[in-house]
Amino acid sequence: MRKIVICISTLLFSASVFSVSAAAEIEDPVAVRKALMQAVAASAGTSSAMLRGNREYDMAVAKAAIATFHASAKALSSFFPENSHTGGTTAAPTIWKDPEAFGSAVAKFRAAAATAVDLAGHDGPADLEAFRQAVTPVLGNCSSCHQSFRVQN
Amino acid sequence: MLRKLLFLTAALVAAAGLVFWLLTMPRPLDESVLAGTEPGDPVRGERMYFAGGCASCHASPEAEGVEGELGGGLVLTTDFGAFVAPNISPHPQDGIGDWSEMDFANAMLRGISPEGNHYYPAYPYTSYARMEVQDVRDIFAYLKSLPPVEGRADSHKIAFPFTLRRGIGLWKRLYLSAEPVVTFPEGTPENVLRGRYLVEGPGHCGECHTPRNFIGGLKLGQWLEGGPAAEGEGRVPGITPDEDGIGFWSEGDIAYFLESGFTPDFDSVGGAMVAVQKNMARLPAEDRESIAAYLKAIGQ
Repeated sequence: MRKIVICISTLLFSASVFSVSAAAEIEDPVAVRKALMQAVAASAGTSSAMLRGNREYDMAVAKAAIATFHASAKALSSFFPENSHTGGTTAAPTIWKDPEAFGSAVAKFRAAAATAVDLAGHDGPADLEAFRQAVTPVLGNCSSCHQSFRVQN
Repeated sequence: MLRKLLFLTAALVAAAGLVFWLLTMPRPLDESVLAGTEPGDPVRGERMYFAGGCASCHASPEAEGVEGELGGGLVLTTDFGAFVAPNISPHPQDGIGDWSEMDFANAMLRGISPEGNHYYPAYPYTSYARMEVQDVRDIFAYLKSLPPVEGRADSHKIAFPFTLRRGIGLWKRLYLSAEPVVTFPEGTPENVLRGRYLVEGPGHCGECHTPRNFIGGLKLGQWLEGGPAAEGEGRVPGITPDEDGIGFWSEGDIAYFLESGFTPDFDSVGGAMVAVQKNMARLPAEDRESIAAYLKAIGQ
């Protein structure tokens, strides 16, 4: 029994060490955060199409969009390490000059997405109006964050 | 001989000084420009205020969220120095509360202060010069309806020789004109012309989206083609209807971007354009549609 416990905790410990080092050794953080942002953009596109009536409302699709916002918001800040401000990135230098402000902007995105997940529930927002209420505060983060933390090159 | 030469030199210097003095003289509007227009209407003025983006520069940076407090203080850092947006709230001492309508019209259309000095063109009067006098009166009426804010913004921090404001008079001779940038043939749809007015005049889109030469004048031959940001970092994108600009955007895409801040690829608006887009979102839909129609019509 004790052996099993030790075995499990060793496994858990090494798993956590592995995940920490994995995050620290991301080979191409710029590519990862771009992929995250593209997933967010695609979900924003689907969300907007439904909100504007260009696409029929679908609870499952709405839930998938919200889940994408949530997962990306949680992951995002891990992919802006110190050395990743150059080379094919539109991330603004302000991210590293004022990490506190950047952190709080991402935290706002995360909080809005988490609230949307709660509102979406198990099956997704019940109707378009419920979806609008859940997702509008999430979408507001796109421009407020890009105002200070992204530059066009 | 020597005396003659000295005399000649002095005369030449004096003549050059006189020519400079004359060429750089502020040229205010004729008092009669207000005739034939109605008294300012603050309701119409609000629409023009959003079209003109006044708050984007003049809102007190610390007053974020407090709408309509135009205490100034925003710093625009450029190659020529740091320009600080002044207080344009209706405070009588610190703002424009004591200005006459003519003072305001001269500021907007000629870039001249009530004391008769040239303003630096960081204040985009080279675009506002294309505005209708009626719209200027309306904006003034709207500004007067906003809350007065106490306190003056800091002074500009400019290096010599740009500290010599008088020289701006020469610059204005080159770049200040009420003529439209793009000429359209007879029979051009009304909404395209309305879009031209909004883009080239109050919207002052060209001030960022058109590249500038070394003395800060817009290169009108590259109208709206984008270029290095005059203020802040990075580049300002081109918005001409071709592959270097936004050729693949439909009119609907442009109007939707101005309303929502989302591009057709669902990238979002960023940087200084965020404040501009928020202003555009406050305009009636027909104004955004006119802007879109104009942007698709230029260079065709």
